[in-house]
Amino acid sequence: MPDPQEDLKIGVYVCHCGKNIADVVNVKEVADFASKLPGVEVAREYLHMCDDVGQEMISNDIRELGINRVVVAACSPKVHELTFRETLRKAGLNPYLLEIANIREQCSWVHRSDPKRATEKAKDLVKMAVAKAKWLMPLETKSVEVSRSALVIGGGIAGIQAALDIADNGYQVYLVEKGPSLGGRMGQWSKVFPTMDCAACILTPKMVSVARHPRIKLLTNSELIEASGSLGNFKVRIRKRPRYVDEEKCTACGLCAQKCPVRVPNEIDFGMSSRKAIYITSPNAVPLAYSIDGENCLYLKRGICRVCERVCEAKAINFNQKEEIIELKVGSIVVAIGYDPFDPTPLEEYGFGRYKDVVTGPMLERMTDPMGPTGGAILRPSTGKPPRKVAFIQCVGSRDARFNIYCSRVCCMYAIKDSLIIKEQNPEAEVYIFYMDIRAFGKGYEEFYLRSQEAGVRFIRGKVSSIREDPKTKELILRYEDTLLGTALEDSFDLVVLSVGQVPRADTETISKILGIPRSTDGFLMEAHPKLRPNDAVVDGIYLAGSAQYPKDIPDAVAQASGAAARALIPLSMGRVEVEPLSPIIDEDRCGGCGVCVKLCPYRALELKRKGEKTVAEVDEVLCKGCGTCVAACPSGAAKPRMFTEEQILSMISSAAR
Amino acid sequence: MEMAEGGSWFEPKILGFLCNWCSYAAADLAGMSRMEYPPNIRCIRVMCSGRVEPSFVLEALREGYDGVLIAGCHPPSDCHYQSGNLKARRRYYLLRKLLRELGINPDRVRLEWASASEGQRFAEIVRDFTEQLRRLGPNPIRAMRVGGGE
Amino acid sequence: MGKKYAFFLGCLIPNRYPGIEAAARKVLPRIGIELVDMNGASCCPAPGVVKSFSRPAWLAMAARNLCIAEEMGLEVLTFCNGCYGTLAEANHSLKADRALRDSVNSKLKEIGKAFKGSIGVRHLAEVLMKEVTADGIKKAVTKPLNLKAAVHYGCHLIKPKVLREWVGSAERPTFLDELTEALGAESVEWEDKMACCGAGGGVRSAILDVSLRMLNRKLLSAKEAGADFILNVCPFCHLQFDRGQIELQKLYGLQPYDIPVLHYVQALGLAMGYSPHELGVDMNFVRADRILEKLS
Repeated sequence: MPDPQEDLKIGVYVCHCGKNIADVVNVKEVADFASKLPGVEVAREYLHMCDDVGQEMISNDIRELGINRVVVAACSPKVHELTFRETLRKAGLNPYLLEIANIREQCSWVHRSDPKRATEKAKDLVKMAVAKAKWLMPLETKSVEVSRSALVIGGGIAGIQAALDIADNGYQVYLVEKGPSLGGRMGQWSKVFPTMDCAACILTPKMVSVARHPRIKLLTNSELIEASGSLGNFKVRIRKRPRYVDEEKCTACGLCAQKCPVRVPNEIDFGMSSRKAIYITSPNAVPLAYSIDGENCLYLKRGICRVCERVCEAKAINFNQKEEIIELKVGSIVVAIGYDPFDPTPLEEYGFGRYKDVVTGPMLERMTDPMGPTGGAILRPSTGKPPRKVAFIQCVGSRDARFNIYCSRVCCMYAIKDSLIIKEQNPEAEVYIFYMDIRAFGKGYEEFYLRSQEAGVRFIRGKVSSIREDPKTKELILRYEDTLLGTALEDSFDLVVLSVGQVPRADTETISKILGIPRSTDGFLMEAHPKLRPNDAVVDGIYLAGSAQYPKDIPDAVAQASGAAARALIPLSMGRVEVEPLSPIIDEDRCGGCGVCVKLCPYRALELKRKGEKTVAEVDEVLCKGCGTCVAACPSGAAKPRMFTEEQILSMISSAAR
Repeated sequence: MEMAEGGSWFEPKILGFLCNWCSYAAADLAGMSRMEYPPNIRCIRVMCSGRVEPSFVLEALREGYDGVLIAGCHPPSDCHYQSGNLKARRRYYLLRKLLRELGINPDRVRLEWASASEGQRFAEIVRDFTEQLRRLGPNPIRAMRVGGGE
Repeated sequence: MGKKYAFFLGCLIPNRYPGIEAAARKVLPRIGIELVDMNGASCCPAPGVVKSFSRPAWLAMAARNLCIAEEMGLEVLTFCNGCYGTLAEANHSLKADRALRDSVNSKLKEIGKAFKGSIGVRHLAEVLMKEVTADGIKKAVTKPLNLKAAVHYGCHLIKPKVLREWVGSAERPTFLDELTEALGAESVEWEDKMACCGAGGGVRSAILDVSLRMLNRKLLSAKEAGADFILNVCPFCHLQFDRGQIELQKLYGLQPYDIPVLHYVQALGLAMGYSPHELGVDMNFVRADRILEKLS
């Protein structure tokens, strides 16, 4: 409870925010109104309360006028609460004696057509903040030691980069990868734009650095199943599925796979080839060890076979391996789970799945890989012969109100890249790219686009409306509009490539729930602020990197990964975090030991304990997250929160009532 | 008691409880996106919709607000604190029954869900609720208060 | 006694191809569909032309027709894609949007009617597929049509799909092919099967040459696919395919395609043993002699 003896001197500071507030709300009127409220010692207005002058205004008043409660009427507390708390702290006032009235996002910005009533509302909001300020109490944060290690979820290029950056800074990293090997999507591509670098050649050194790094523990075949705690102190549980192959002993000779009798579609090749139940994702896999697919292995499903075990010279097969649950304590988490390519089956007009010669961009990519299903040659799936006329259709599943409104950023560039590869393999081949817009936004991208035009790739601006098969020639007839010519046309092709975009991975929802980090409307993981905090998840201590946050190309994924790593390093390098005073205080006189709060707490932060004659509830301050559910439920009002107290809320309600 | 300008047109006054992680962010997003909604609502930030006590709602109605909006994260699993929204929902259903007993139209209290990316939805909720309350008319408790004073 | 429906005739059937009505009245009761006349029903009105000139007028006229069925307490059954497009969409819009409904009802009040939103609108194809089912059709067939059919779905029957969930796939639907095969016919693959016949949307009325060019493409594909006849579920498509063939001959001097055109109820009637005359098949412009010989 606040000290009733204290002589309250409230300072009210109303911000113009340039014109953002002042254009709608009459700031002077609000400041004048505030100055007349009981308890308000001084009310000022200024253009930008958050700048040096504004902050100095507050600090001065604290020092010279003895202001001991500060109300700032400005933008959302989510923007500058920390800024102003710092101002108070530096001026010698407890930082929790601050209340912010949101007269921008929730007032001037949404009531632009009614300035008069917006001003009335701003006055009410200030009145409510002043009422709450009277009931604010000085509070102390607790300094807690941080677990000086990080968890990186996802072993693609973004996860790899983040892990390397954090580990190079001297901290332990646990890199969790769901599949048997590092590499992610980049590991599935053969050449990357615009340099036409061999993807494996530039990726493999980084993967090897991860494997060799003394401070990176690589956990493959692993996934996050549970997480709790907060910034600086997360407790996570990882499920590590058995590989059934000893990574130390396996020499990757491949004899096991030769002999294995089970064939299943190969996910790496998007179903265009098959693999065995014992397999390795690529000859550059890290770790370089085979893995047994428990769903399809005859021994694991039906207790028969074990041929691999018999032929393995290194005696690396171990069917006794068991699933492990690994518990870790980490200070930061970086989420880099990547994306899935869009499945164009629902676009029935394009006949994907119906016509063999309609493939997706990623499938074509796999064909260009010498280790891929066609040994590096681009071939028509129906005949196995090189195509003579290829069509790329852009924006499949992207920029489409039926599926995903957003642009996937990479498809224009990968189509251009693949068109150049086709021309390389067969200069006589005709290549058409049907586009709405060509997005060649990055460094070297426009030049790459020009190169493809010079190579003779033809660009047609218009959407393809339908694809059908010519019953006689078995070629694909595309009906399209050429918007620059202004007519509808038809043409036959022998291979059609759908440039599909990026969609959130299927398990994004699961990760989102486990970590408690929300997703944006497009399904990708949401950043804390699109401009100011693009690498932070909404929850402190969790960071985002790569396409998990939004579709992007490799340069941007790497840049963001390093950015996320830098953010993740803050708690680790500081070694301590300030824990907010979130947990309630139990008034043991009032507490009747009924236990309702214990049952309601989702974090199990409350316990009934015998204290002397009574049994009362006790709060674990580390586990408590400050949601206030126990406070609301307590029948005797014994659970008293330190922030958002009952008195504060009730005073806000009555202050602005009619 | 103040009358809105224009005479007979009744302007309801609404109190909102917005949870920090979802609906408060949604309201902020509506602002960032420059959406418009009527200026009849005054919002109080709480950390979780599960913090909202029925007594707050009753107090607001007693003090003369024409309607109360409680906004939280979508059930079942968007709540930042796992299940605070589910508790809010349970309390809300009981509260409605209580309101009926007290002779107050339960439609004056609304429970809505808006996630942090649903700025548009928040604006629509406020627009819709304001109109609904306009049709329901002023809070009858206000008429019962003598003298019209605060 | 079968299920009763309010029999919405529209314009083209009574005015141009009354054979379709005759066929319906004879054939449908035998597969459990009872047709009850709608007194005072008017033009639906046309979904392409009238709707684009004045949506409120279109809505009010459609609502008036729907009211007649509501007063009968029966679902509307249409035999025309256009009438279906209009009545089903108007019904949906008025049910969903209260403001729209109120404004239309204020017009209907002038003639003592009020739209309540109490009934649904069905196309014959939907009812045959879901209620009678392909099996039910098979059972009723006594003289299977050993012919190749070019099945034409038309446009308003299946699009916009969001208002017609029963259709399944709007790009590659199969229900009408199944109903046709239940008659014993073979549904052939023909290019541009799903393309518009070229009649609707005011095209035939305003730019006949464009309309006929579209028709010509379809007839060419039907011919190349070896179709014996073209099957439709819409009198406007029926008119386009039928009369259109004569127009192509007369206006452009093209060789006659000579492909007979049948509305589904006529094809069903033939498969149930009715004579062509009873079904009004001899009222078509394109003589059906070729296929009738094959059938007998």
